[in-house]
Amino acid sequence: MLTTKKLMLALMFGFILFVAACSDDSTTEGGSSDENTITVWTMSKALKDFVPQYEEEAGVNVDVQVIPWDNAHDKLLTAVASGEGPDVLQIGTTWVAEFAEASTFLDLTEYLDDYDNLADDNFYESAIGTTKYKEQTIGIPWYVDTRALFYRTDILADVGYPEGPATWDEMINASRQLAARGDEQYAIDLPTTDPQFPFILAWEQGWNYEIGNGADNFQSKGFKEAIELHHLFYEEELSQTGEGKEFFQAFSDGSKPMFISGPWDIGMIKERAPDIEGKWDVRLMPSAENNKSMMGGAHLSIFHNSEKVDKSLDFINWMADPETQVEWYKANSELPANLSAWEDPALADDEMVSTFGEQLKSTQPLPLIPEYERLGQEILTSLEEINRGGADIDQALEEFQTKAAEILDR
Amino acid sequence: MKSKWTPFLFIGPAVLLLIIFSFVPILIAFGISFTDTNLIGLANWSKINVIAFDNYADLFSDKKFLESIGNTIFYVIIGVPLAVGSSFMIAFFLNLIGSWLASTFRVIYYVPSVTNIVAIAVVWGFLYNQEYGLFNYLLSLVDIDKVPWLEDPLVAKLSLILLAVWKSNGVSMLIFLAALQAIPRVYYEAADIDGANRWQKLIKITIPSMSFATFFVTVTTLIGWLQFFEEPFVMTDGGPLNGTNSIALFIYQEGFQYNEFGYGAAASFILFAIIIVATLVQFKFRKSDQTL
Repeated sequence: MLTTKKLMLALMFGFILFVAACSDDSTTEGGSSDENTITVWTMSKALKDFVPQYEEEAGVNVDVQVIPWDNAHDKLLTAVASGEGPDVLQIGTTWVAEFAEASTFLDLTEYLDDYDNLADDNFYESAIGTTKYKEQTIGIPWYVDTRALFYRTDILADVGYPEGPATWDEMINASRQLAARGDEQYAIDLPTTDPQFPFILAWEQGWNYEIGNGADNFQSKGFKEAIELHHLFYEEELSQTGEGKEFFQAFSDGSKPMFISGPWDIGMIKERAPDIEGKWDVRLMPSAENNKSMMGGAHLSIFHNSEKVDKSLDFINWMADPETQVEWYKANSELPANLSAWEDPALADDEMVSTFGEQLKSTQPLPLIPEYERLGQEILTSLEEINRGGADIDQALEEFQTKAAEILDR
Repeated sequence: MKSKWTPFLFIGPAVLLLIIFSFVPILIAFGISFTDTNLIGLANWSKINVIAFDNYADLFSDKKFLESIGNTIFYVIIGVPLAVGSSFMIAFFLNLIGSWLASTFRVIYYVPSVTNIVAIAVVWGFLYNQEYGLFNYLLSLVDIDKVPWLEDPLVAKLSLILLAVWKSNGVSMLIFLAALQAIPRVYYEAADIDGANRWQKLIKITIPSMSFATFFVTVTTLIGWLQFFEEPFVMTDGGPLNGTNSIALFIYQEGFQYNEFGYGAAASFILFAIIIVATLVQFKFRKSDQTL
């Protein structure tokens, strides 16, 4: 009796081991144990249908896992905490410092020369600026985006600016006329939830964030001027404080004839407001001391403990290729980070897209500090207190500086 | 096989799961609340510093946190009586009317409780919309100006309360309904013989007989409202001017949006303490009216 029991147990144990061994490969998350597969985490759904081309060329399997932007931060966080990440991952420019500080990425500096498409001078200078963190190269630019001014050509022509306002002075002048058209008529919809926007305004006033200076940066004149400029639009009701009408309707009926946004809205307007075709255009940001906009977009990076660095680099090299970059633009309307890709007719012949290309040359990377996200949110809070809550600018700025110092010292 | 270990065998698995998934995380969070753990510390444990009570001290000088506590108290004071009262009324009237109608309405009142909060947010977002919302349209018919449902800090708080009461009615209503149906008929028959009217029956029989159900619903509702999270999270994200931020949402923002795990954990222990105190106070009151 006893021996049969033991035999049964042994058999069962063996069976369990067998099952475990079989399922091992398919269940491990992230870095797959299959020698010929690399795992890629991305927030771009279109990538899944895009990689087969590469798989054929290179004979490598690319396992694309799509994460929605909303969950991406959490997912990356768990990957950092557990050390179980993919081989290649997409990273938004504003998250670079935060995750780099937690040593999430492999330093690519020593590999750059071995691949044709990875050299720095292939890309927009400020895009490269966002890939360098504390003398490490944490990723390769994939696509870029920036902000520019969308405006209604017909309505702006009525107030004397058929080409759109070129400077902030012209902008204020035009806006006053536009707001004077009557009740519920505004000039421009400023981005209220975009933490990048206050920085853009401040750069244009000649301000710049110097990492060594910490919270003192926010004491400079340029920064205050930016806040005052922002407030002017709400004080004189050139912009609406609340959400108001559905935005694309407001743009198409002319009650908000200008807004500042990124390249994705070109397609959105065509789709949502088809009846104003030909009556709107995109132009470079209005300038004060300069017309700098932000450098946004995403990079491709390699997770710090990936075992397939060579294959991953080869994949990134393919993604950075000018031809691939144009194809990617055609597939997903995301703008190439690679400079020579912009010479392709698909981009060069599209006037609105080229405007973004032009604007990209006048961009600035956001401060590469892990506290950036937090600071941006605090600026937005202060702006809300000033514009909506009626707080005094000097006082609100002072409070913001104290807060900033606290955040940066933590 | 009967031994003194037998009972432990039965409750063992449940207790084990509770320990692993409830008590241990609470203890870990408690530990974390005394450190400056953030994303960097998570990746490299050697960078975590123990900072004793600094997090707690910082919290009590953090304007945003104090505002969140204020908002949460506002939610509780207005929301809890409203939620308990309205679900009691619904249950009471459903108990009066005919059976098929009652079950139809039971479904109608229960559906919000099982509907996904995101779907609710989309629909209510339209109802509350200042330009085209149904509410403002109805008000415009009787010449009332546009109400800034979600754009004014005070009105937004009330709007969220309305939404949350509507959503939470279903569950409490079912509990009240069950309690109502468990009251022995003989009480009412005796009252009828004595010549009691409806009002007297409600005050002297129905409400006292339901004291336990009321107690249970009040305690759970209060805890739920202290942890008020989903509604501000999906509808207003704490704005405008931080007017709808709750403690639970504050914890989420600190812990998961800004990765200040230590700070978030400390805030969550303050919330924990508030809930414990609020619940104990209710039990205390409960003891004093045990005579019923």
